[in-house]
Amino acid sequence: MTMTADTRPRTPHTETRHLSMQQALNLALEHSLAADDRTLIFGEDVGRVGGVFRVTDGLQQKFGAARVFDTPLAESGIMGMAVGLAMAGWRPVPELQFDGFSYPAMNQVISQMARMNNRSRGTMPMPITLRLPSFGGIRAPELHGESLESLFAHVPGLKVVSPSTPNEAYHLLRQAIADPDPVVFMEPKSRYWQRGDVLLPAPSDTESDAATAEHETTTPVGTSNVVREGKHATLISWGAMVSTCLQVAEYAAEDGVELEVLDLRWLKPIDAAGIQASVSKTRRAIVVHEAPLTAGLGGEVSAIIMERCFDALRAPVERVTGFDVPYPSGALEDAYLPNADRILNAVQKTLEYRRG
Amino acid sequence: MAPWQVVGLSRWPARRALRTMKSTENSTSRDSNPPVAHRSFIETNVTRNTAADTSAASAAAGTSAPSAAEILPELYRQMSIARAIDREAVNLQRTGALPAYAPLIGQEAAQVGSGAAIDKRYDFAFPTYRELGVAVAMGVDLTGYMATHLASWHGGLYDPVASRFAPIQAVVAGSVLHAMGWALGQKLDAGLAPVGRAPNEASAHDSSNPDANEPAATEPDTSSAPIGAAIAYFGDGASSQGDVHEAMNFAGVYTLPVVFFCQNNGWAISVPTENQVAGGSVSARAAGYGLPSEKIDGNDVAAVYEATARALNRAHSGGGATVIEAMTYRVGPHSTSDDPGRYRSLDEEQSWRARDPLKLCEKRLRDEGLAGDEFFTEAAAHALEVSEQVRAGILSQVDRPMHELFDFVYAEPPAALLAQRDRALEEIS
Amino acid sequence: MAEISFELPDLGEGLVEARVLEWLVSIGDMVTRGEPLVEVETTKSAVELPSPQTGVVVTFHAEEDDLLHVGDTLVTFEVDDEQAGIVGTVPKAEAPERRVRLQLPDD
Repeated sequence: MTMTADTRPRTPHTETRHLSMQQALNLALEHSLAADDRTLIFGEDVGRVGGVFRVTDGLQQKFGAARVFDTPLAESGIMGMAVGLAMAGWRPVPELQFDGFSYPAMNQVISQMARMNNRSRGTMPMPITLRLPSFGGIRAPELHGESLESLFAHVPGLKVVSPSTPNEAYHLLRQAIADPDPVVFMEPKSRYWQRGDVLLPAPSDTESDAATAEHETTTPVGTSNVVREGKHATLISWGAMVSTCLQVAEYAAEDGVELEVLDLRWLKPIDAAGIQASVSKTRRAIVVHEAPLTAGLGGEVSAIIMERCFDALRAPVERVTGFDVPYPSGALEDAYLPNADRILNAVQKTLEYRRG
Repeated sequence: MAPWQVVGLSRWPARRALRTMKSTENSTSRDSNPPVAHRSFIETNVTRNTAADTSAASAAAGTSAPSAAEILPELYRQMSIARAIDREAVNLQRTGALPAYAPLIGQEAAQVGSGAAIDKRYDFAFPTYRELGVAVAMGVDLTGYMATHLASWHGGLYDPVASRFAPIQAVVAGSVLHAMGWALGQKLDAGLAPVGRAPNEASAHDSSNPDANEPAATEPDTSSAPIGAAIAYFGDGASSQGDVHEAMNFAGVYTLPVVFFCQNNGWAISVPTENQVAGGSVSARAAGYGLPSEKIDGNDVAAVYEATARALNRAHSGGGATVIEAMTYRVGPHSTSDDPGRYRSLDEEQSWRARDPLKLCEKRLRDEGLAGDEFFTEAAAHALEVSEQVRAGILSQVDRPMHELFDFVYAEPPAALLAQRDRALEEIS
Repeated sequence: MAEISFELPDLGEGLVEARVLEWLVSIGDMVTRGEPLVEVETTKSAVELPSPQTGVVVTFHAEEDDLLHVGDTLVTFEVDDEQAGIVGTVPKAEAPERRVRLQLPDD
């Protein structure tokens, strides 16, 4: 698939490595474990076997079973334990093996992890990063292909983020782990094996060099990313759908239509200013997500556009999403997921729109 | 010698000096238990499973408690305080000052006895919404505690970190997992892995000892500082929740320093224990998780204190978790909005009033010559004085400033939330 | 493609280490699971370890005559992405088909 090149500057403070997203995530976890010895990784099968997607491969060997360890098979227990560890001053990075396995943990996520900082009046912050392999596209069994971003984004106290590339995966995971608040980190499992250049802070001798590298490779929490510039309409997406949107932009270019692609990255907080900047310029917007349509995050994005870009819009915002059905078996997966034609149809609709 | 006079050590703040503990053997002697059982399932004979024999280890770990007899007068004073504040809280609710309140009357021994055994240097308590007696025993700021019932702040207005008393939970069972996680944090702090060892592990903690990361289930580590212990409070109703079972399983697998302290008060709002707990016993479930357990008379403050101290000592010395089921009775309603007359008999309530934990304690103090009229007069006056202070504190609490709606949602709040706050402050205040 | 590493297994009888005698495959070889991989010597005997994985051998973490402890990384394979995870398949990295064409409005 075509991805636009990373335009950020290469400097002596950075180095580039070509990695899969799975490898980039693994490296981010390794660096986070090395950077802070209060950071812990745990979950089902994350220790000895290195996780079902191998994202934690080798970390127990490197950091020991007191830093990276397997838990019993109990998602509520994993997240409740994470809350207790955070109360004791640790920085937990639990993994719930699949998106759908977060349902048994939802009470601890919503009632406890999201609220403890508030309940304790800031005396017990929850620097927890919940790693959640998410979204569909891998012909997995039932409850292994859920898109839960709007559910998590609706919970006060949580932050939600999803990377689209190996580079994003590395930096956003480092950022999520370093954040003092609970972050739901949604890993697009259909993109785990997709490779790309990862811009890393180079080993530095001085703290100022390290800070410079950090500055050059990280953007603030809640910042979106224009991954392709265009002028006729903006495709707004996140996670696995970003590369689909980039492909659609390639197709559109063949027809002389220049689409901008905005990778939202953070789903809470949402970069309203970034959306506004792009849509004010292109004056048309199409939101693309895998999650079902109704009460999906596309509605929120659409409302932001309406609030901020009402006068600029040349057409109503289109949403290309999953359907209001349970995520299907592999046989119907392709019919469920937004594809190039559905997105192109929505683009055409915005291009053709005339005020009545 | 009365059985509870055997144990001696330094948990109690007034008695920090360490002494060597001789034995806890006698503390389970049957004659220490009161004779009356008003519910068929209560076992007045304390049953101890494998929690016994931690005396040597705990002595070495240096966290053993003073004997119950030594502090029995103090336990009585604290139970009196808890009861006085509890009565005052009900009155305040009945006069409109508190929106609602969950009375603890009847459970003073279970709460004060267990709370008094907690060593705030090492331990941390995880309460529900009915733990006033624990708060009294642990020295929590009581006005801050009552703030949750005053609807000032959900978790209370005391400092949970400094108080070693987690924010109050309005929903049961979830915090039992937090206790387990906190306990794992203490084990990690002690340089121990959750379980086993990783292949090729860089054993940063003790490379000279190949077993350094093995759980010390059978051979408590008596050489090092105590491992901090978590005490999780829950009831017979909460024991039905999966979180409690998951917490016990994790604690068993990881050999964690947790005390699972169940106050079985007979009722989960309107549902009696026999319709709540299959098999009839929460403590019996411990065996399934490989944990030792004790089912104790929760109205005998000395028995509660000693059982909790044993369990904490066991945790401190690396012996892992214990389940304690303190059999007691919720004499009052579930909350001030509840009418127990709809689901249980007055006779039942009256029969439990006869086993009032304060009366039982008073009788023992008098019988053994440990206290007389003067003490009880003074204790009552002191309790009244404290409850008046708490009452005054409650009534003087000011309305919460509106910005607190937004202040603690995040450690680093997103700009969008700050914008919501600013607009709300402008429009509403 | 993805990489999977394996450690020297516990060969039993309380043995904690073993010496690599001979690699029976070469870097770059495609080996199937169960195929002879390496001969190692413990204090009790020399044993042949079968490959725990189907894939291309990319790294030996010990030279012949090196002493390894149980749990030390022994070998790394590169495996097909389809084998990389435990659940699900890896999507093909090919562009999705298109039929819809776009037409810019006149203005």
